This record gives sequence, C-alpha cells and structure tokens, in this order.
Amino acid sequence: MHPPIDPSAMVSALSRAGHGPRPGEAAEIARHGFGGWVEQQLHPTIGDDPELETRLAALRLRIRYGAAPDGAWPALDEARPLDLLERPMEALWPLADGKTRMDGAERRRPRDEVIAATVLRAVHSRWQLREVLAGFWHDHFNVDFFQSDTLAATLPVYDREVIRPHCLGNFRRMLEAVATSTAMLLYLSNRSSRAGAANENYGRELFELHSLGRDAYLNDRYDRWHDVPGARDGKPRGYIDQDVYEAARAFTGWTIEDGAGVDGKRRLPETGRFTYVEAWHDGYQKRVLATEFTPFAAPQADGRQVLELVAAHPATARHLSAKLVHRLVGGQPEKLVAAATAEWLRSADSPDQIGRVVRLILLSPDFMAAKGARLRRPLALAAAFARAAGIDLVPSEGLVNAIAACGQRLFGWPTPTGLPDEDAVFLGTQAMRSRWSLLLGLAENWWGTGLPVSPPGLRGAPPTPHTAVAAWLEALGLSDRPDVAQAVLAGLGWPPDRILGPPASPDTERKLARIAALCAMAPTFQSA
Amino acid sequence: MITFSRRDALRLGLAGLALPGLSGLAFAGPAAEPPLLLVLLHLRGGCDGLNLVSPANDPDFMAARASELRVGDDGFALADGAAPGIDFRLHAAAPALAELYGARHLAVIHAAGLTDGNRSHFVAIDMMDRGIADPNALAHTDSGWLARCGRARAEGAVTNVSATATPGGEFRGLAAALALPDLSGGVMPAGGPQAAAVLANLYAGASGPVAEAGREALAALAAIDRRLARDAAGKVVAYAPEGKANYAAAGELARPLQVLAQLVKMEVGLSTATLDLGGWDTHENQAGRLRGQVAKLSAGLGALWEDLHRWQGRMVVVAMSEFGRRLRSNKSGGTDHGRGGIALVLGGTVLGGRMAGGWPGLTPERLDEQVDLAVVNDYRQIMTEVLTAADGRAPPPNVFPGFTPGPSLGLFRG
Repeated sequence: MHPPIDPSAMVSALSRAGHGPRPGEAAEIARHGFGGWVEQQLHPTIGDDPELETRLAALRLRIRYGAAPDGAWPALDEARPLDLLERPMEALWPLADGKTRMDGAERRRPRDEVIAATVLRAVHSRWQLREVLAGFWHDHFNVDFFQSDTLAATLPVYDREVIRPHCLGNFRRMLEAVATSTAMLLYLSNRSSRAGAANENYGRELFELHSLGRDAYLNDRYDRWHDVPGARDGKPRGYIDQDVYEAARAFTGWTIEDGAGVDGKRRLPETGRFTYVEAWHDGYQKRVLATEFTPFAAPQADGRQVLELVAAHPATARHLSAKLVHRLVGGQPEKLVAAATAEWLRSADSPDQIGRVVRLILLSPDFMAAKGARLRRPLALAAAFARAAGIDLVPSEGLVNAIAACGQRLFGWPTPTGLPDEDAVFLGTQAMRSRWSLLLGLAENWWGTGLPVSPPGLRGAPPTPHTAVAAWLEALGLSDRPDVAQAVLAGLGWPPDRILGPPASPDTERKLARIAALCAMAPTFQSA
Repeated sequence: MITFSRRDALRLGLAGLALPGLSGLAFAGPAAEPPLLLVLLHLRGGCDGLNLVSPANDPDFMAARASELRVGDDGFALADGAAPGIDFRLHAAAPALAELYGARHLAVIHAAGLTDGNRSHFVAIDMMDRGIADPNALAHTDSGWLARCGRARAEGAVTNVSATATPGGEFRGLAAALALPDLSGGVMPAGGPQAAAVLANLYAGASGPVAEAGREALAALAAIDRRLARDAAGKVVAYAPEGKANYAAAGELARPLQVLAQLVKMEVGLSTATLDLGGWDTHENQAGRLRGQVAKLSAGLGALWEDLHRWQGRMVVVAMSEFGRRLRSNKSGGTDHGRGGIALVLGGTVLGGRMAGGWPGLTPERLDEQVDLAVVNDYRQIMTEVLTAADGRAPPPNVFPGFTPGPSLGLFRG
C-alpha cells in the first residue's frame, strides 16, 4: 500500500530526481510506487540503456574551421560522430599537449562531444537519477574545461572514469579518483607542485570545497593546531591554514605524465596519465588534522592519508549531506540533514555510500513535500520541456549556447566552487530573458534540435487555442493551474474556440509549438 | 533601510540590466543630479599586488621571489612611493595606468585588504561584500554594504542591477537588482508582441521569487530598450566609444566596460556599478598569466577614462582584490594565497600620482604570520573615503558595522 500521491507532486519529484517525466510517466510511477522507481534508479547497470547507446552512435555533431594560413590543413565543415568519448587519456593527450599543429576546434572537440552527450543523456537516458547526480558531482568537483584547450581534452576521461562511476558510489574512492585525475591535477595545478615550496591550490580547495567545507575553516587559529577544539584527542573539529600547507606538501609528486624532465637523464612519458614522482615529493614528517605523518612513507601514502582523514571527517559528512539535501529538496531541513549525515558516516565503507544517502533523502517525506522548492536549472529546464513536449531532441551547439545564456555554461564554470546551487543565480534580468528564449527556441526548432510532438489530446479534432492550452498544460504537469491557462489564452490574442487550422498542417503545428513554449514560460514551470 | 523596489524605480523611468563581467549596476533617478558615479572593479582570484607594483629594490623581496615574479627595470617607477628609499615599480604591461598615475588621476594603496587573516577566496569575498572583517559576523550580516549605504537617498532610487552569476555581492539584499546584457541587438524578449502579452499576463499576478524576477525583467528590458539609440530603420545602433578610446586590448573586460560607458551616456542617472575581472589566481606560471591580466586591466581602465572624458570629474573607480599573494613564490612558478593586496583608485577628484597609506615592509617580523605582506590599509577605510567623496557625507555607521575610520588616507582633493 502506498499513500496516494498528488500527481503534480510526482511531476515535481521526477523533476528533481530526474529531468522531468515524459507524458504519462508520472501517473505510471505513482501507480507502481515511487520507492520502486528510486530503487531501480539507484542501480543503473552498464550497457542497460541500448536506446541511448543507439542515439549516441547516431549523433553527428558539427565541426567547422578555416584552412591554416600556411596550408597545413584545409578548411573543414562536417557532421562528425562522437568518436572521442571512449578514448583513453593517452589517445587524447596529443590534442592537449600543443605539439601537433591543428585547429583549436579539434583540440576542443573532446569537450564539445561530452557536452553534446550530456545534453543527450539529460533528455533520453533512462537513468535519470544518475544524470542528476553526475551533474551534482561535476559541480562539486568543478573543473573549468573552457579555461584551456589542454583541459578541454581531459573531459571525456574525467566524466567517464572519475565522476560517473562514483556518482552513486563511495566518496573516499571518488575523492582519490579526482585527486589523481588529469583534469583536476591540471585545473588546481598540483601537477607542478614540488617539494620545497609546494603549490597549495589543490590542498586548499580539497578542504574548503571538496570535503570539510568552509564552515570548518577555523582560520583564527592559523597555526595553533592544538587550539582547535578536539585536536588534543586527535579529532579536530575543523581545519586551519597550517593543515592546508601540510596537505599541499603531502600531495607533492602527484602529477601527470606530461614529458617534464625529472632529472638530468630522465623525462616523464607523454601520456597525460597520472603518475607519482618520488623525487618531487616532500617526504619529511607532517601533521594534518592533528594527525602525525611518519617521514618517508611509501609512495603516495602521505596524500592517501590526507584523503582518508578528510573523507572520514564528520564535517565532510555534514557538508556533503547538506549539499545533497539542498540540491534535491531545497533549504536545509535540519532533521533530514542530520539523518543524511548519520547515514553518510554509517556507510563510509560501503561501495554505495552516496546511493544510500540519496535513497534516504528521496524517500523522506520532505522530498515529496518539497513541490516547487527548486528552480529548474537551465539544462534541466531544457530537458524537462523536451521530454514533456515529445521533442526527440538532438543536441546542437546552438542549444548549448542558449543554455549557457541562461547562466549554465556546461563544464565551464570559472572558479573551483562550481556553479552555485542557488536559484537566484538564474533569476537575473538577462537570465530570465534567456530562459524564455530557450523554451521558444526549442519549440520552434531554432537550433535544429527537433520539433515537438503534440499530445494525444490534439491529434483528433482540429485544435483550438483552448484545447491546445489545456493539452499542453497537461503534458507539462500544470493541468491543475487554470490561472495559467487563462493567462496564456488572454495573451495569445486568438479567439479561444476558433480552430487554429487543419490538424497536422505545418501552420497548425507551428502554432501548437508556440503555444507549448508560451505555456512553459509560466512561473510555475520554472520550478519543480 | 531602502524601501524602493526595482519596480518602483522603473515606474520612475529608471532601468538597467547583465552580462558576464558586469555584475551589478544601480541607477538613481534621472531627475536628480546624479551623485558621483562609483564603479567597483573586482579583481577576482587574489591579484598579486607585489607583482603589479613591486618594491623592486627591497632585499627581502628580491630574496623571496623568483625574478620573473618581480617588476624589473622595464617597469614604471612610481613617484611619491609608500616608503622612502624603496623603488616601487608598476608592471611593464600597464602603460595606461602609468600615464594615469603620472597625470595624478590614479592613486595606489598597497598592503590593502581585509584585517582578518583569511586565505580563502570565497570567505574573503563574502566578508568584503558584506562590509565586515570577521568571519563570525557572516552569519548575522546578510546584506551587502552597498545595499546599506543609502546612496539613493537623494531624489531618486537606487536600482540594483544584479549579476548573471552572482546577484549578491555588495548589493546583496537591495530589492532592486538588475544585470546587463549586451545592448547591441536590443533587449526585448523573443517572440514579438504576442509572447510579450502572454509573459505579462503570466507574471503579473503570480507570487514568489520567480514571478518577481520575471516582472522585474520584463519592466527593465522594456525601459532599457526604449533608451537604446536606433537608426532610421529602427535597428539598434552599434556603440561607438569616444575619442581615442579603444577597448580592444581589454579582453573580457571590454564588453562590460562598454555597456557601463553606454549607460552613463544614456543618462539614466547611473550611480553605482560593479564589474569583475577574473583570472588572478596565479598558483602556476604566474609571469605570463599576470602580464596578460595586467594588460587587460590597464587597457580597460585607460579606454574607459578616455571614453568617459566628459564624466571624469564625476566618477571614481576602485579596483581591488580579495587578497594578495604569498611573498615567497612556489616551485610552480606561481604564488599561493596571501594577505595584503593592492587597491587602485581612479577619478577626476582623486589626489593621484601617489601611493597612499602605510607600508609595513617585508622583513620577517613585519610579515603577517611571517609569510605574507601584512594588511595595514583596511579596505573599509578606503571605501569609507570613497563613499564620503562620492556622496558628500560619511557613510552611515551600519555600512561597515563595528568599523571606526582611522586617519584619512587622503585619497581625494580638497
């Protein structure tokens, strides 16, 4: 027995745990029980989405550039398959290292392919929860893949091997996957950190952003580690600058195979892959989070010990649980955050630690009750509209730019904080204008992404504005909003009961598509 | 407490809007004499003040820093430096700034920033946005200092124009907040009059933050659109800077600066604007990266100064970062997060051509925690003097709560 679920609450739930239902999907999941859907979504199986694989294989993404001034390459304009997504790092590195001459569009191609695949998956993946979590972790472990062409070439591996496999998995393992990723080693510049004067960039963001969080930064103690509450028992409540400095030392030598000279005789290979260089490591004793590190530990042992300490810290559990709750439910409901934090700590050694916390959040009463609590982020808005409007969406550069104009440049947030998870970020004047354009552009196929398919209710009798608005609001999950219907009908300026045109004629379809977009511009569709 | 909402302001015929880089604008009423235009340029990421203006002959500096992270003989010697006997040199990539300094329009304040010993970008920015210097006060200081300073108290309203990415900042909590797009193609929502009518209906009655944002956007877009210059065919005319102003070398700062200049010339009574220039977090390969950053900053401010030559006496620009960087360079050819940074103050009424404020020196015992240039010039002191000059009166005490202004830095004439 499941308690009856308000259909619009289910639409909201599926729009926060996914990118919104397709027509009819909310009712079906409500019938079978939301818990069953969550359980299924928590265990995506590899190779279990053949339809998506077919779409990925069929997708052609345009690439175009002019001829080299000296004729080294001809001008190019072609629709090319996404053939870099599965490449290993060493196969992508020649695009990154700047040694082979080629147009910049070729260097950026790996990034652009992942962006296209991400948009495709947002709309078509059957594993909707995984898509939401992959986005969450990309934001959390932010790398700006627009910062350089070198970084752009590292995105396929970062997405495929670092973020996605762990996004419902174990945080400690994910943390090490990030720490040893080519993308993060480049972005937070640990790859050039050397004993003697370590680069603190990664060390600082590891504490502040990736794990304990800024609330645990007790900077007024600066270097007096024994003054940090709990430190004398080996359980400091937070971190200080000295922890950052020491952690930076612990990660010296964690680098990538970029051809750098190690000493007079030896050079690193050029694969772009992670490697550890003992000669660059600061091996002397350290103290991190009130824990003494023995000098001259085994290779990578210092860095791994830092990862252990921060992953296991209660502040990390709290920080990450609160972030997940905020993303999925909105706000900081204290009881739920506390329960999620407890689950996080309890499951620290489980391979599905994150999945367990996500399950707890999704099955909590707060989740289902949080209807309308979160603004749809721009990609989620586009995907939700496409799914509801039956658009068989094909990603394109134009669509990606339109999403960026709304404030979400996919994989391109400049600072290590990642795209802020605050609705207000997307509510600026320009952002609102761009949201409306995004919906109209999708409906009218401005970017070649595909046309809407009118809901079944409009396929029989010739449609009128009245029947069209009703049918689209139903598809968008807004059938309980007569005020929206009235606002759209009054603004359209077409007599509500006059037939729009013969069914299925191009002109009628154009009008219906426009009505779909105008309905989706309603304030209520902006949130879920 | 400011009670004007953005809609109120718009009814008075005011407006504004955002674009990456231009993070906030506020308008005062066109009827009132506009106060001194205040422009805040955030150098995001922690600008290495010691490499922008180096104490070039300081032995402690020379010992701690790789030579490529110091300004050398090719830099511009700054007259009237912050300490006798020290050869303060401005980065060679900043010829426009050197010229403004020489013409006495630009003042430099070294060792400036937050008195709190914070080395986190995000906490430091939050504190500076809110006008405080104590991280423990963040929890109960929810508004930005520009939201509290009541610059709109004259005839008009302050209409806050908020950022694309961060509508908070110093404007946080101010009801009216606009963010500006590129003005070149017009700003009306797509879909023509029919979509406009539907949008107006959809957002008119609804409640909540989305509906509020939508209404404000619709009103602001229409108000700005009315003021855009158009040709005979009704097409928006491309913006042409005045005189020899050339924004081409200002990189990503070019567009927001030109939108700012354009709005000034629209005479909507622009009173406060904030802009961002990121890219200063130079943990690695600093020499080349900083050269590029400095070149953009210098060229941008130079172009703005030239373009707004008719407004020079009525504007003040403050460029500042959340903190400076470590005295000692790291082995990545970069520098890590430090303390004392640098502030640039540019304006027609600025007492320029000099380095204002104290200089603590770089001997080990004078360093903050023995590693960083200390902060001896509180950012709140700088902003207090700027606001006092801009408004003709000292800011109310709640603008920088708990802060007692110290001896004047003498940033302005008269």
